[in-house]
Amino acid sequence: MIEFEALKPQNLKEALAVLKERGIDIKLLAGGTDLLVEINNNSDRLGNFKYLMDISSIKGLDEIENEKKHLIIGALCTHTQIIESKLIEGKFPILVRGAKTIGSTQIRNRGTIGGNINNGSPAADLITPLLALKSSVILKSKNKKRELPLQDFITGPYKTDRKEDEILTKIKIPKINSDYQSSFQKVKRRQAVAISRINLAVVTDIKEMRFNDIRIAFGSATPTAIRFLKMEKKLKQTQINELNFDSIIEQTGQEMVEIAGERWSTPYKKPVVGNLLIRALQEIIREVQ
Amino acid sequence: MQKVKVSLTVNRKKYNLEVDPDERLLDSLRDRLHLTGVKEGCSIGECGACTVIIDGKAVNSCMVYTFQIDGSHVLTVEGLEIDGRLDPLQLSFIEHQAVQCGFCTPGMLMSAKALLNKNPNPDKEAIKTAIEGNLCRCTGYQQIIEAIEAVVKKDGSE
Repeated sequence: MIEFEALKPQNLKEALAVLKERGIDIKLLAGGTDLLVEINNNSDRLGNFKYLMDISSIKGLDEIENEKKHLIIGALCTHTQIIESKLIEGKFPILVRGAKTIGSTQIRNRGTIGGNINNGSPAADLITPLLALKSSVILKSKNKKRELPLQDFITGPYKTDRKEDEILTKIKIPKINSDYQSSFQKVKRRQAVAISRINLAVVTDIKEMRFNDIRIAFGSATPTAIRFLKMEKKLKQTQINELNFDSIIEQTGQEMVEIAGERWSTPYKKPVVGNLLIRALQEIIREVQ
Repeated sequence: MQKVKVSLTVNRKKYNLEVDPDERLLDSLRDRLHLTGVKEGCSIGECGACTVIIDGKAVNSCMVYTFQIDGSHVLTVEGLEIDGRLDPLQLSFIEHQAVQCGFCTPGMLMSAKALLNKNPNPDKEAIKTAIEGNLCRCTGYQQIIEAIEAVVKKDGSE
């Protein structure tokens, strides 16, 4: 069993001061829905730590702010909060759809958006929608604050660019016009409490029957969730009624292999990613027509 | 490991505890407070047998360290009974034979209770969503859903 001491800072300032001093020995704990499982399983992913710092009750990090050009979601917002937010449902329904597929009611009541990102699972159900929404993350340390695109923050499977003295405080999503459409798809082994085998987020606006801006993010198909930029480029300005399904399926699978290489799951996933994309595009096209 | 002082209100009674950092709420409830209605099933948040209500929300008590929830209100299945009277949900579970081996029952009841506290008139889909994190290997869920629906209907007609 892993042995550790508990730290429970009263506010963000105190948390950042302690992290500055001994961040290298500290593991951060929020909702705990991933971390407690890893501790229970003695997972190799945990690495070494002496202190577990509980930030779950720090005030001010669970707010949803409606700014002029962005929506800001506090890192400690739970999945339940995201699902119940009228603001998010109105602006970014795809995020609500992703959150609804996570775990169970009990898990959604505890798990947080910041935890989902920081855990860095390739299968995280909020990361793909957030990538397709071109989100960025805001990190704070004692003396600094920085913002970077979510795609750059996720540096590998279960790895992020978070420095040991930093806390991810906010997720920033640029607002899009109301004529944008989106689709979230998830392949799972059962209906509830299921980890994504593959998930997909598509966000696009259709102008004059063509895909204008189109963003396609896959999770669990590659070592980290990632946007399929080649496929985005191919589909941009394509007539929605003239899609060549066979070539989309073929090329999506190819792009996955280019990013991830041949893996044990490739024979299954290669045709499935493309078919999933077709399903998402058809769902969106049905909405517009 | 250094102990951590925590004060909790459990089933309307206040407790001051000194817990280990890695002590889960599940362990505190069962081993310290002897509330053995809280069951340990999978220990990784998949089965829901350990479900309790923390500050109004259904939560897996195997996924929370006790030191995290200082000052919180916890409700376990033992707290559903007030002055010797069973909760309508408990009566309905009995009436609809929604219990076989009984291991999942406390968790099921707590998930259902949290749902009804928040939404007194849930439809079938909402009921299913509320208990989707609670596994039952005996009943096939049908009687459980019927038991919860019956409480909703009774409430509506009164």
